[in-house]
Amino acid sequence: MSKDFYQTSILPFAGIIIKICRAYTNSQEDFEDYYQEVCLQVWRSKDNFREQCKWSTWVYRISLNVCLTLLKKKKSKGHMYFTSDVLPDVVITENRAFEDEPLNQLYIAIRHLSEVDRAVILLYLEEKSYPEIAEILNTNANNIGVRVIRIKERLKKLLDGKFN
Amino acid sequence: MENSIESIWKKGFLHETSLVAPKINDLYNQKSKHVVDRVKRMFRINQIVIVMMSVLMPAIHYFVDALWQGITASGLMLITLWYNDRIIRSIKTLDQGATSFDYLQAFDRWLNDVLLKAERIVRISYPLYMLIAFSTIGSAWNKQGLPLKLQQRFPHFLSIDTISVVALIVAGLTTLLMVLFSARIYRWEVRLMYGRVFDKLKDTIAEMEKLRHE
Repeated sequence: MSKDFYQTSILPFAGIIIKICRAYTNSQEDFEDYYQEVCLQVWRSKDNFREQCKWSTWVYRISLNVCLTLLKKKKSKGHMYFTSDVLPDVVITENRAFEDEPLNQLYIAIRHLSEVDRAVILLYLEEKSYPEIAEILNTNANNIGVRVIRIKERLKKLLDGKFN
Repeated sequence: MENSIESIWKKGFLHETSLVAPKINDLYNQKSKHVVDRVKRMFRINQIVIVMMSVLMPAIHYFVDALWQGITASGLMLITLWYNDRIIRSIKTLDQGATSFDYLQAFDRWLNDVLLKAERIVRISYPLYMLIAFSTIGSAWNKQGLPLKLQQRFPHFLSIDTISVVALIVAGLTTLLMVLFSARIYRWEVRLMYGRVFDKLKDTIAEMEKLRHE
């Protein structure tokens, strides 16, 4: 991968990749692995980009696909994932990737969602419209709205009392 | 809105420091480790299977009244086990080089060398296994008195002691074929067991090469 490609086509969109990778990883080591894999995949698939969508949409799509694939691989190797409605304190102390504490708490809560729900809420928080979310996730736009409401309710429940 | 998830998200990401991209120094570092670890893991599983087979062989052969053949097969397997163990240990001596590309290339060269050596070995061991198998069949037949029955049924067939010459010719030809085709059979076996991971190794090296030249 040329330095130019990284600086012009990946670095300006690094924020997108970071936000997504953080939602699918529990440690700094995993995060860096996922980030590198996304960058590689963006480089590998650059020739498939047909300009039917924005480059940022393309990066979102690749980032999500890579994270979902890596997570699937990890799951198949028997790694444990939490799915409770209450945030465990142990995990809270281990996952402080951001300086902002409420944001850390929000990310921990997001990591408790299903893989697809994480993708939906990340795109929603990035202010993507429902049709855009549907396009990126390659799904029907009709039920995205209902799904977002349901996810937000679950996040509120998960975050209840964890910060002021 | 004060504590809504939208506001937490927006406020949180106002701090630019939280969105600093990690440095990409060695893109394939983890990937290389995974590929090599996978090959090592598969080799170890292979070793466990050989140990189990070498224990089972004499037991199975005992029941068909061919204990010595079982012990011989087991001995041959233990020699293979010892040789494989030496090979696996030699991975540690590989030159790790300055980058994961150097390491993967060294690993690939090592793998090709190992497979070539193994091909030479199977040219001897596979025919030996074949002879042991024929000897086992012979012993089992002897136990049931089959050769004698065959001799009585087909008296015009030549036989040495009680062993039919036809059976000896078949055994000899099959062993000869095994000498000729053992390397090919071995390559087919390796492809069947390790094909996917070896392909992955080749793909990774090819991609790294492309990445270096772009």
